[in-house]
Amino acid sequence: MKRIRGIGAVAFAGAAVLVLSGCQQGSATNSGDGGDDGAVTLQFQSLSDQPATQAAVKAIVDDWNAENSDVQVKIVQAGWDGTFDKLVTQFTGGTAPDIIHYEASSIVSFAADGYLADLTDYIDGDLKADISEGIWDSVTQNDEIIAYPSTLQSYMAFANADLLEAAGVEVPTGDSMTWDELQEIAKATTTGDAHGLGWGLGSPTAAMMSLALGFDGTFFSGEGEDASIEVGDAELAVPELVHEMTYTDKSVDPTSLTQSGSEVLASFYGGKVAMTVQGSFQATNIANDAPEGFNWVALPPLEGSEGAIQAANPQTYSVNIDSEYVEESAEFLNFFMAGDNLAQIAYADALIPSSDAARAEVEKLAADNPAWTQVLASGDGLVGPPFLKVEKYTEWKDTIATPAFQQYLANEITSEQLAAQLSDGWADIAG
Amino acid sequence: MSSVATKVPRQTKRVGHRARAQRREAVALVIPALLPIIIFSVIPLASGVALGFTDATLKRNAEINFIGFGNFIELLGDHRFWGSFGIGIVWAGSVALLTLVCAMALALLLNSDLRLKGLTRVLALIPWAMPPVVIAIVWRMIYNPNSGPLNGALEVFGIPGVNWLGDFSTALPAVIVVGVWSGIPQTTVLLLAGMQSISAEQHEAAAVDGAGAIRRFWHITLPSLRPIIIAVTALDFIWQFNSFGLIYVLTEGGPGGRTMIPPLFTYLEAFRNREIGYASAMGDVLVIAIMLILSLYLVNQFRQSKGSRA
Amino acid sequence: MTMKRPWYATVLMYAALAMFLFFLGFPLLWLLSASFKSSGELNSLAVNLLPAEWDFSNFGAALERQNLLLAAGNSLFVSIATMVITVLLSMPMAYALARLKGRLRAAGTVWILTSQVFPSILIIIPLFLVLRAISLNDTLLGLILVYVTFTLPFTLWMLQGYVAAIPTELEEAGEMDGASRITILRTIVLPLLAPGLVATAMFTFVSAWNEFFLALVLLQSPELYTLPIALRSFLGAEGQTQLGPLAAGAILATIPSLIIFSILQKKLTGGMLAGAVKG
Repeated sequence: MKRIRGIGAVAFAGAAVLVLSGCQQGSATNSGDGGDDGAVTLQFQSLSDQPATQAAVKAIVDDWNAENSDVQVKIVQAGWDGTFDKLVTQFTGGTAPDIIHYEASSIVSFAADGYLADLTDYIDGDLKADISEGIWDSVTQNDEIIAYPSTLQSYMAFANADLLEAAGVEVPTGDSMTWDELQEIAKATTTGDAHGLGWGLGSPTAAMMSLALGFDGTFFSGEGEDASIEVGDAELAVPELVHEMTYTDKSVDPTSLTQSGSEVLASFYGGKVAMTVQGSFQATNIANDAPEGFNWVALPPLEGSEGAIQAANPQTYSVNIDSEYVEESAEFLNFFMAGDNLAQIAYADALIPSSDAARAEVEKLAADNPAWTQVLASGDGLVGPPFLKVEKYTEWKDTIATPAFQQYLANEITSEQLAAQLSDGWADIAG
Repeated sequence: MSSVATKVPRQTKRVGHRARAQRREAVALVIPALLPIIIFSVIPLASGVALGFTDATLKRNAEINFIGFGNFIELLGDHRFWGSFGIGIVWAGSVALLTLVCAMALALLLNSDLRLKGLTRVLALIPWAMPPVVIAIVWRMIYNPNSGPLNGALEVFGIPGVNWLGDFSTALPAVIVVGVWSGIPQTTVLLLAGMQSISAEQHEAAAVDGAGAIRRFWHITLPSLRPIIIAVTALDFIWQFNSFGLIYVLTEGGPGGRTMIPPLFTYLEAFRNREIGYASAMGDVLVIAIMLILSLYLVNQFRQSKGSRA
Repeated sequence: MTMKRPWYATVLMYAALAMFLFFLGFPLLWLLSASFKSSGELNSLAVNLLPAEWDFSNFGAALERQNLLLAAGNSLFVSIATMVITVLLSMPMAYALARLKGRLRAAGTVWILTSQVFPSILIIIPLFLVLRAISLNDTLLGLILVYVTFTLPFTLWMLQGYVAAIPTELEEAGEMDGASRITILRTIVLPLLAPGLVATAMFTFVSAWNEFFLALVLLQSPELYTLPIALRSFLGAEGQTQLGPLAAGAILATIPSLIIFSILQKKLTGGMLAGAVKG
């Protein structure tokens, strides 16, 4: 008996040792509070996935840490993929970092659940004035500013100039390009073994929602829990066009509609598609990854019936409401968002900075880069979309809209059925 | 007399002492393993079942209210959940069945006198040893519509490539093939062990009676393997019905929800929509459904085997 | 079996065997090939089994990226700890299950079987809350304890089969000699149980090494990620997926399990059958 207890004791002792080591591990990761010297350490979860951007973020943080010995910032590098679910468990588990990098349309849910600090009173006055009202509006929920809006992406068309030339198509120039032009070029460049356009619409909702604004397709009206949806011709204009190009003109590669943007880039490099619509940030990837001698251009911003308008859905930096150092975090973010710093990040990511100061800086940095002219031009048409005010947008997007758009783009349902699924599904969700 | 009278109580006392010692011994043997089971399995399970009757969410400082059968009533009319449930049945059922067929064929081959058996046995370990995430990554590469070897091979024969995981009609079958691939080894190994325990005399006797290979398989091998087959298919079905990682990495439920098996659907409800009460209710329904299907299957199988024996 | 078979049956059987060989082995082959291809070749849409030029840089790139090395270390720590604790805990209980009669045994068996039925999705939500309550959320220790609990049913099942295979006469003989239960356990049962213990331990290691879902939900800090989670985050939705390093990382993640399984092959079978037949 005693010996048996002995075994049990050994097992428990082993478990206890592990408990202790585990706790140390736990506290090491969770410590928002600093070391013995009284300095505060802020956990800063960054999602930037481009090496150049990561370097830029690190440089800024290093600058801050050098100047502020009492408030040290520690970067926690995470990835975009699966961030929403991860943040849900981080917030509920009490392990969320102090400073949280994400995007406006997704943090609405966390604001609604009460996890984000109100930053209204902490934001630097000059910075506040330097960013347009519309962009601030995109990160304002219930009159509380819940994030610093940093950079914005637009959707742009990139073209393989050689394939356009071979098809006898002139590369469009000018301030903007209509969807009809895109359709014409796609038709003209479709050949036996290449499609005119490849569009990575595997996760189609964000692009469809954003580009619908060019046709005044707003989907939602109202705010918070009272938002209502309407899916009409304006909302369906872009999906119907893609559908027509895919199944009537046969100028869009149907496979690409199920892929991610990056996967389509492989087809673009391989000459399988003459053009591709991508997030503007892919300009960096194309510049880095395209095979040597690949002759590509960025086309002018896409213009719908209402103009070259797209949704401003900025990347954001928020502060955890349960952080002990909301004020310190906001101070750091004021520094982080300063013109020079933001410009570095935006330039590395090929995204449009939110503030005018940073924008001026980027224009200088990118003076001799033709793709950048188009990136910045596309930024002029960014407006705050209604869906950013919708509390259950993420739920609707992931459980209703994405499968519905996927079905329509795969020619499984009609556009009437798409409209019905989108609005009935919202009724279920908003319940 | 008096000596007997004093002896009896002492004896019972000794027996009682021994029984108690044994019980204490049993407790000491069992407690170390029981503790984690209670904390990390029984308690969560019980509270998981209970959560299904509440309106719990993952909001900050959320209130939890008992709402009776509210979630279950809502669930009854949730056609997306039942759609996902149907996909789960198709997925788990086909994988369990096809795995059994393939594994049976492979086990028969490995139980014969062919060469290359050793090599096959080693290769058969690959799917078993690979982490599900890696399996999903490999098969994503194989199914890749542009640079995957599958479409590459089709092209050689002049057949146009298929968008395996992206096309609505092929996504679920493609995922099922991966499920079968990963399930073959374990089932094969079990069936093979079962076959090896069938005595050679039985086969030889039947062969002398003029029974061909197919008849021998049907009348000797299959009946003796029956208990193993029942157990293996039942377990396979449960495991596949509850599996998560493989499909999560392969398709994340897409395209258009065509591979949205119930665990994925429930995961989204819990960790994307943050409605953990409702998600737990889904989990409760899934448990009941599995038990129901399973008991139907087992009862049916045992009744059949009794019938065939009689 | 020495019965005659028509020649065409033999041909058909070899053809079937070859098909199985190809079906089971090809994915690993393709993964290996991808891990040696340059990013240019992987992006070129050309389909070749053998790399045009062998590129060994992917393995280095994989280890540098996304803290894969750290993740491998986490996985190793978690798997070994799970293995040790599971074996320590399941040994006495398996013995009790196999030897002691009565309600305890019935209850144990029922629990082992039912634990297979419950979807982990039902358990994960409250489990997450329980771990948070005892401050083990987002720690490797929490994950280890959960892994121990979830592998226990299977290890108990296997181990009690091995225990049951040891003739009770041996223990009774020891009892006659006046040895205490613990001495009997240590000097008689344990040595005979050793092969079974090794098999069980390895099985536990592999289950923990391969596990994905629980780690996905229970670990939130990137520096705690285990290998499957780190690999999954390679597959960024919009970020540039680097197939070469991804394949290399996947190979590295497969090697430990593959080695263990080839050592284990026969024992694992024996163990599971022992559990099934004698249990």
